This record gives sequence, C-alpha cells and structure tokens, in this order.
Amino acid sequence: MDYSRELPVVEGQLSVADIEHLVAKPMDTKPDRKFFIALSITGSMLLFGAFCLGMTFYYGTGMWGNNQPIGWALDIVNFVFWVGIGHAGTLISAILFLLRQKWRTGIARFAEAMTIFAVICALMFPAIHTGRPWLDGYLMPYPNQHRLWVNFTSPLLWDVFAVSTYFTVSLVFWYIGLIPDFASLRDRTRSTIKKTIYSIFSLGWRHSHRNWQHYEKAYLLLAGFATPLVLSVHTIVSFDFAVSIIPGWHTTIFPPYFVAGAIFSGFAMVVTVLIFVRKIFDLEHIITLDHLEKMNKVILATGMMVGYAYGMEFFIAWYSGNPIEQFVFINRAFGPYAWAYWIMVSCNVLFPQLFWFKKIRRNIPTMLIIAIFVNVGMWFERFVITVSSLNRDFLPSSWAYYKPTMYDSGILIGSFGLFFTLVLLFTKLLPVVSISEVKAVADNAQPKQHGGAH
Amino acid sequence: MEPNSVYKKKLLPKNVQKIGFLLTAVGLIFGLLSYLIDAHFAMSTYLFTYAFLVSIAVGGMLLFALEYVVGAEWSVPIRRVIEVTASLVPVLLLLVIPLLLHIKDLFHWAHNDVVQNDAILKAKSPYLNIQFFIIRAVGSVLLWYLFYFFMTKNSRKQDETGDQNLTKKNIRLGAIFIPVFAITITMNAIDWIMSLEPHWYSTIFGVYFFAGSVLASLSVVTIATVLLRENGYLHPEMVDDHYFSLGALLFAFINFWAYIAFSQYLLIWYANLPEETFWLLHRWEGGWIVVSLALIIIHFVVPYAVLLSQPAKMDPKRLKFVAVWILFAHFIDLYWLVMPNMHAEKFSILSIILQFAFPTAAVGVLVLVFYYGVNRQNMVPVGDPKLKKGLKFRL
Repeated sequence: MDYSRELPVVEGQLSVADIEHLVAKPMDTKPDRKFFIALSITGSMLLFGAFCLGMTFYYGTGMWGNNQPIGWALDIVNFVFWVGIGHAGTLISAILFLLRQKWRTGIARFAEAMTIFAVICALMFPAIHTGRPWLDGYLMPYPNQHRLWVNFTSPLLWDVFAVSTYFTVSLVFWYIGLIPDFASLRDRTRSTIKKTIYSIFSLGWRHSHRNWQHYEKAYLLLAGFATPLVLSVHTIVSFDFAVSIIPGWHTTIFPPYFVAGAIFSGFAMVVTVLIFVRKIFDLEHIITLDHLEKMNKVILATGMMVGYAYGMEFFIAWYSGNPIEQFVFINRAFGPYAWAYWIMVSCNVLFPQLFWFKKIRRNIPTMLIIAIFVNVGMWFERFVITVSSLNRDFLPSSWAYYKPTMYDSGILIGSFGLFFTLVLLFTKLLPVVSISEVKAVADNAQPKQHGGAH
Repeated sequence: MEPNSVYKKKLLPKNVQKIGFLLTAVGLIFGLLSYLIDAHFAMSTYLFTYAFLVSIAVGGMLLFALEYVVGAEWSVPIRRVIEVTASLVPVLLLLVIPLLLHIKDLFHWAHNDVVQNDAILKAKSPYLNIQFFIIRAVGSVLLWYLFYFFMTKNSRKQDETGDQNLTKKNIRLGAIFIPVFAITITMNAIDWIMSLEPHWYSTIFGVYFFAGSVLASLSVVTIATVLLRENGYLHPEMVDDHYFSLGALLFAFINFWAYIAFSQYLLIWYANLPEETFWLLHRWEGGWIVVSLALIIIHFVVPYAVLLSQPAKMDPKRLKFVAVWILFAHFIDLYWLVMPNMHAEKFSILSIILQFAFPTAAVGVLVLVFYYGVNRQNMVPVGDPKLKKGLKFRL
C-alpha cells in the first residue's frame, strides 16, 4: 500500500454523468418482480405486527409476557434497540462530516434515512407500551383543567423531548441534503407528475453559487447541532435505567456505554443493509469495499468500547464489595438468563474481534455474518440489561422468569417489517446516495489530482 | 519546491535548558522543604503532580498512535511535537519511585490493621494490596514505554529511509496500543486516584480520567506547536489551517469531559445512595465547594466560550491562551480529585504555597523534555509518506 497517495472515494473512473445515472436508475425504472417479492415479505411482517398490536390494544398489555417483577420487557428493549440503530446515521452524516471524512458521502444518505426509519420504529414503543395509545397526549406538558402535569424529574419524559427533537433535526438535516438531488432529478425527468413533485421538494434550487453557499452553511450548522443531540439522546435513554437504584441498572458508565453501543449496533445495521443495496443497485463503485472496510473498523472499535463497559461493570460490581451488586452480575452470567448473556458477549465482543484481520474486514460474506451477529447481540444486550436485572428481586418470593408471548414478539417482528418496508420504499422513491456530494468527491472533480495518479 | 520552503533543523537555545533546570530545581527544593515539614502532605501534592504528568505522557502516546491508526494527514507535520510530548513516558519510570516508597502514607488500604477491621476493604484486598499495586503501577509505565520505544524508533528511522513499511508497522503497533491504553489508563485512574477513597466506586471513573488526559496532552501539543512554529522550528509550509483540528479536538474534548463529569454527577446525585454520594459530599464541604463550583466554570464554560467559533479554533493567539488555561483547569481537576482525601485538616498559608512546589518542578521537567526532544531529532517527520499530503491540508 502506498500511503503517500490518496485513495479514490469513487472507484471505476465514473464520470459525473455516470454517477447521476447510476443513482437515479431505480427512480427512472419501474420496480421489478424482486422488489415486489421483498415488499410482500416485509409488508406481511408489518401486518402481523399490526395484528398483534391490535390485539394488545383490545385486550391490554396482559397479552404480553410481562409479569412481576419484570414489568419492563420487550417494549423498552425494542425502543432502545431501534434508537440505537438510528445513531449510526447521524454519526455518519454529521460527525464524520465534521471530521472531514470524504468516504462518508457514499453512505451518508442511506444511513441518515435508516436513522429516520429507526427512530419511527423506536417512537412506536413508548407510544404503545401502556396498551392505551389514546392517552399519549398526556406525554406533552400543557396546561389543562385537571392540573395534570408530566413528571419533569423523570428521564422517561426527557426521552420524549430528546427523541422527538432528534427526529425533527435528523429529518431536516436529511431533507436539506436532499434538496440539490431533488433539483437534479427534476432536471432529468420527463414525466410531468414527477417533475411537479420534484419541483416542489427542490424549493426552487438552481445550483447557483448563492444556493450552494447557503447550503454549505446550513449543512455545517445542522451537523454541529446534530452531533451533541445524537449523544444526548442515547445518554438520556441510558438515564432511564441508570438514575434508578436497581442493581444492574444504576452504574455511572451507562451514558457513554450506551452511546458506544448505539453506534456499534447502528453501523452493523448499515453494513448489513448496504451489502445488499450496493449489489442490487449496481452501486459497487460508489459504495466501495473500502467504505465497508472502514465501517468494519468502526464496528471493531465500538465493539471494544462496549466490551470495556461490560468488563468495567463486572469489575466494579466485585470491587464495590456490595453483595447485592455482586449477586446481580453473577446472576447475569450464570443465572436463568445466562444464555442471553453469553449470546450478548460472544456476538458483541468476541466475533467482532475477527475484524482485526484485513481479509475478514474486506470479505463480504464474513462481514455480513458478523454484522448480523452484532445486530442480534445488541438486541440481547438491551434484553440482558432490562430483564436479567429485574428477574431476581430483593425478595425471593418475587423472583420470576420472563417469556415473551406471540404478541410482544409479534410487535418486534412488526417493527422490523415497518423498518424494512420503509427502506424498500426509500430505495425506489429517493436517491439512495447523495448525487451532489459524491460528484464532489469523484476523481475527476479534483483537477489537481490528474497527472501522477492516473 | 522552492529552496526556502524546505524544512531546516534548528536547535533550541541553551536558555530553554536553563529555564527547565531552574524550574525543576526550585520546585524540588521547595518540595523537599515541604516533605520535611509534613511528609504526608508533600506526597499528596506529589501524587497529583504525578497524575498530571501521566495524563500528559500517555495522552500524548494515544494521539501518536491515533494518527497512524485513523490515517490522519493534517497532524503529520506536527507529529514530532506529539512524539516529544509522549517522550515524557520514560521519565515516569523515575518519577513513580518516590510514590512507591510512600504507598502507606497515601493509601488507607495499605495498612494491614485497617483492612483487618474493615469487611469491604478485606473483600477488596485481592486487588488493593501493595504487591499487586506496584506491579500494576510499574507494569503499566513499562508497557507504555515499550510502545513508545518501538513507535518512535520506527518514526525516526523513516526520516532517513522513507520506508513505507515503517508506517505500516506503526499502524499495527498503534492499533494494539489503543486497547492496552484503555485498560492501563483505567487501572492508573482507579489505583492512584479512586482508591484514595477505597470505599468509593464509579464505573465511569476511568473514562473521566481519560477525558482529562486527552485534554492535557492536546493542550501541551497545542502550546508547543504554536510556540515552535512561531519561532521557525516547524515546516515553513505549515499554515494556520493546521491548527484547526487542534482547536476542534480541544473543543470536542472540553465537551466530552463535561459530559462525562455531568453523567457521573447526575447519576450519583439522582440515585442518592450513601455509598456513592459521600465522595461528592466530601467535595461540598468547607472550601471545597468553591473548587467544585469553580471547576464547572474553569474546566467547561470558559474554554467552551473561547473555542466555540470556527476562526477561534485556528487563531494561534487564542489557542495559546486557551491551551494554557485548559492545562491549568486539568491541574485543578486533579487537585480536586486527590486533595480532599488527604485529611489535611487546615491548610496553612505555608502549605498553600508549598503545594505548588512539585507542580513547578513538573513544568520544569516538561520544558526539559522539550529541550532535549526538539534538539535530538528533526521536528518534521521528513520521511513520512503522508507528509506532503499533510502539508497541503487546507480546511
């Protein structure tokens, strides 16, 4: 490897027109049979979730496996899981932007879209977790006749503010990035309907110098806002657990540990999905193997951070000399939920270590397997934190085992259905790669690079 | 390339050496005086001074390793400054000795009679015992030194050969160093600082010390870079844009430190468990309340405000000021972590003056480390394959 040369972000000597053509292709053509097969699968999952949800609303949350003392189970597990998935999008689109990482251009749009879809999935769970979604209006603090106020000292309420702000800013950030692309699509389409729609969304964008100047400023500012926001969201999610005095939940490392875990799981999800997207839509020159390798490096690094947190929790539980704290952790690793604990440790800490090897980082099948393992492991992490800390209460008479029923697991399946349905629709309706940004980092956009390099 | 734009090695004047020796000597003399008056007190001041130097040295090692691992280019022209900062690591091997001779003076858990009457300390004794403590303290410095030795050797060798394989070797070493760093710095934080209050525990404590370490080393690197460049010791093709990432990283880690400190505080305050709160309550008594509150302003509000705007992050004047400020803030932070545990019932005027003795010596040591570090080698890694790209870096 030659370190003095800059690696091309876009491979295969694509011209600017090629890039636009490649990215716009799914929108220019009618969806094929494969697309509808995929959509029918995700749609069925979504419908099954809707059915389970309907039953829950009709009969109440008694349909779920929750019991005493495990009052919090899959609803919060899924919430934390999906919020976590969303974090990679903001990390890629905002933080990597602030860090001047050019390779982010190929994947930022997709990751950001996944953020929005994941946050939609996440927001569903707090809204339904009481089984009475018609009461959700009370989440918003507003003066009312009953003098009923939300509990401002509860991190669960902070979640409402944090996640909804996060969703709004992510959506605006994503949309701002889309505007130049909408304009490009408007200019190339021949259909009047499409032209009208793209015209509306492109807000009169004319690719003028002044347009770009404002755009750059707005983009930088939003990236600056999104960065602390994304960290605060998972921090507050971690507060849901850590402000309590439940052993296994109350530990000071939770905020950075949750943030690292969120980025870890989010990157794994982005890798999982992008492997298919780049293949199906012929984007292998834009979402290159180098991009995937870099993401795998982030997975390795954040996986080790998560491993550090697991180790720290265990060590301090022992070091504290607090027998209850010690019991919780021994129970986690060797109690009734030991199987979940070891799934978590092996998927999140052991398997990602394979990414130390370059060959594995650059091999599509192995990285797909590891990324899926990480997704599974991170779901189990939230399961372990929530359920294994609750299943042994202080009184042995309140010890129980939680088993999900068809209904709470059905809603989880439904959330995956929702997520992938939205992802599929996105690939057909909007450019999955930022056309304007990729053009700017393509080789022939940098005149100074000509000469020695080619 | 024009002839005047090529790096020429320049030696630091003898005066720098003199200042370094003078500061070290004055600091040590007063330190010795304070030791003769009250050994326990003097060793406590020595302890936070040592923690201060550890954070700069090992933080410098992290920056050094990170440049290779993440493939950074902007920092290549200033990498030697980072290496010189990390060259404090071998000095630590010497500096740790006085502390090891005074474990019993500093740490409650080191007394057998105390441990025997305390169930919690007894339970901790497999970790908190003198032998294992010494192994950890010396072992971690030796580990850092090992990485320091091989990585700087490769870096210097590249000046002559320009061999790209040396970059590859350092990438590997750097990647291995990062997890080693995470574990050792946590151990050092727990051992030297957290175990001063042996009943207290906080899982985030290692991260807290890490945040401060990165800030401290970045500050030293920033001060040195600005001073060296202003006086023509660095590559003439460097521009103010090269400062930007230093300013941005300082800003980021100011926020990170505040985030970690706030997380720890809020969770302990909210849960209100007596086995955790006493550590914070102790820092809320008497004069410590002033230090605790001042820390928020000194360590977060001021540097945050100074560094917020984009031009500020590459303004050498402002960077010089804010880096010195942050270094001072980090020093107060360590002081706040260590000194409330020292049961110094009353701080006499003399002791207030004398507690600056060892820190003064530490500044002297830093100056000397830079004097010898700068004169020993090229201050620009002339053989580094990424240097050309690094010099061309513009925002």
